Amino acid sequence: MERLMCILNELDDTIPWETEEKLIDDRILDSFKVIMLISEMENEFDIEISAEEIRPENLNSVRKMRTMIQRLQG
Amino acid sequence: MGYHTSVYLLLFLPAVLVIYQLVPQKKRWIVLLLSGYAFVWMISRKLIIYLWAATLVTYYTAVRLAWTKQIRAAAVRENPDEKQELCAQFGRKEKRILFFGIGLLLAGLGYVKYFNFFAANMNLFFETAGIDLQMGTGSLILPIGISFYTLQAIGYMTDVYWNKAEVSQHLGKTALFLGFFPQIMEGPISSYSQTADQLWTGQPVNVNDLSRGTVRILWGLFKKLVIADRLYIFVRAVFDHYEEYHGVLVAAAAVAYTIQLYMEFSGCMDIVAGSAILFGVSLPENFRQPFFAVNAADFWRRWHITLGTWFRTYVFYPVSVSGPVKKWIRISRKHLSVNTSRLGVLLLTLFPVWLCNGLWHGAKWKYIFYGMYYFVILFLEGALEPVYERVLKKHSILRKAFPFQFLRILKTWCIICTGELFFRADGFRIGVCMFRSMFREFSVHELWDGTLLNFGLDKADYLAVFVGCLVVAAVEFIKEKKLPGSEGIRKQKLPVRWAAYYALILAVVIFGAYGTGYQQVDLIYAGF
Repeated sequence: MERLMCILNELDDTIPWETEEKLIDDRILDSFKVIMLISEMENEFDIEISAEEIRPENLNSVRKMRTMIQRLQG
Repeated sequence: MGYHTSVYLLLFLPAVLVIYQLVPQKKRWIVLLLSGYAFVWMISRKLIIYLWAATLVTYYTAVRLAWTKQIRAAAVRENPDEKQELCAQFGRKEKRILFFGIGLLLAGLGYVKYFNFFAANMNLFFETAGIDLQMGTGSLILPIGISFYTLQAIGYMTDVYWNKAEVSQHLGKTALFLGFFPQIMEGPISSYSQTADQLWTGQPVNVNDLSRGTVRILWGLFKKLVIADRLYIFVRAVFDHYEEYHGVLVAAAAVAYTIQLYMEFSGCMDIVAGSAILFGVSLPENFRQPFFAVNAADFWRRWHITLGTWFRTYVFYPVSVSGPVKKWIRISRKHLSVNTSRLGVLLLTLFPVWLCNGLWHGAKWKYIFYGMYYFVILFLEGALEPVYERVLKKHSILRKAFPFQFLRILKTWCIICTGELFFRADGFRIGVCMFRSMFREFSVHELWDGTLLNFGLDKADYLAVFVGCLVVAAVEFIKEKKLPGSEGIRKQKLPVRWAAYYALILAVVIFGAYGTGYQQVDLIYAGF
């Protein structure tokens, strides 16, 4: 999942991605960053992320993002 | 019967509370539901039928969705090799059910709220184009709360479709979720998972909730009666006779309306939240110190939060991952720069959200303009962000430095007040006229030469408004900066706590804008 960290750091290298657990709840990731992140994830991991997946349970931390990507990859 | 009236606060609410407590816990949901219906009936009479229809449509759609999902799961278990086909086939069916439910609800809302606007504009078009056709318009009355419970219902059905919410198999639970009386008139717009179970539980009334709820209600009354209802007098005087005023008076009216709207809407939300707390129900917050926002995007994350969250979840994100936006991202990444691609995404995603936001407020061009105003500002904020970053770096300006933050907050205030000027003006053209008149013969001394005393408010009124605003600003500052005391008045030492309670009660009783010279002011957002 180094690729995920690359995407995240490219998106914003000032956020301590590995330690943050409330990226959405604490509004660290705003709506536009979320869209750009989703688009990059789809491109990089060849997955399709629908609107129902855009929720804090899937995006609040790097660990949760990994779990979502693995689930969508089947 | 608004939430600030004595009928609600001294009769309706205490009566419901007593009956609620006397009834066995399992039946308390019935008391809440019937109270909700009584509340709507007292205001909208037979138009309560819209609420009942919305409840039935929502219940049926959600149950049907859940049932289809169950059949899909069973079919996949029986034929695991055909999982993909079955999922696609049932997925289409679920989408049809959801769209049918949403379509019915929007048709009801569209008919009562937008039909006359649509017909009037079509007639204008026919007239201009020389077509001999006329669409009939009627006197349609907006059922109370329809804009709020329709959004809640759509949110719930979509959450069931997305597997984000458990479906309610009991019609009464869906009915209560949509018809909880403190929420029905002005929101907050909650999701099913936020309130349905709390309402259904029928938690007994306890001293802690009684005290918490009462303090919250008093705080709301303070904002509404001491500040908002006084400012209403000045705001109405200027906006109703806009052609007589210009310069600083129009600017002052725009600022006064912005403060009035905030004090009124957030005050009403305090009364609503306080009422819900009495029944052990915690509602989502609608405001988070909006005047500390550093830009328009930040402002909308702090103002009418539940409406913003609704549009983000059910319009913005679905549009963001829709075919056209994905196609744009794919193509633009290949042929254009990252920034241009980003600008396209901003345009495609912001436009529908802000068009819907404007229209949601009402079927008038001024509301559409209000939505488009924020669309343009948010687009510019997003588009200029990289330039802004470069300028900050080049001049070594710290983003969090106080003078810089202060200037940003001041700029946001200008944006907010200008938007509210158009929002309050009696039509788009009048809004433009007032905006232009602000820059004519602007003489600041009119603020202190006694001119302001000609609008129905005397020095004592202005002093009450000023001190009231200072108190609210101080409380919001403590909350924003998380200073000692931000955990609330109830966590303070006994003498401080009781001094604050008495001050609040006395302020509402003595300085509230009622009696001779004042009039009871209806809740602004109840009209939406």
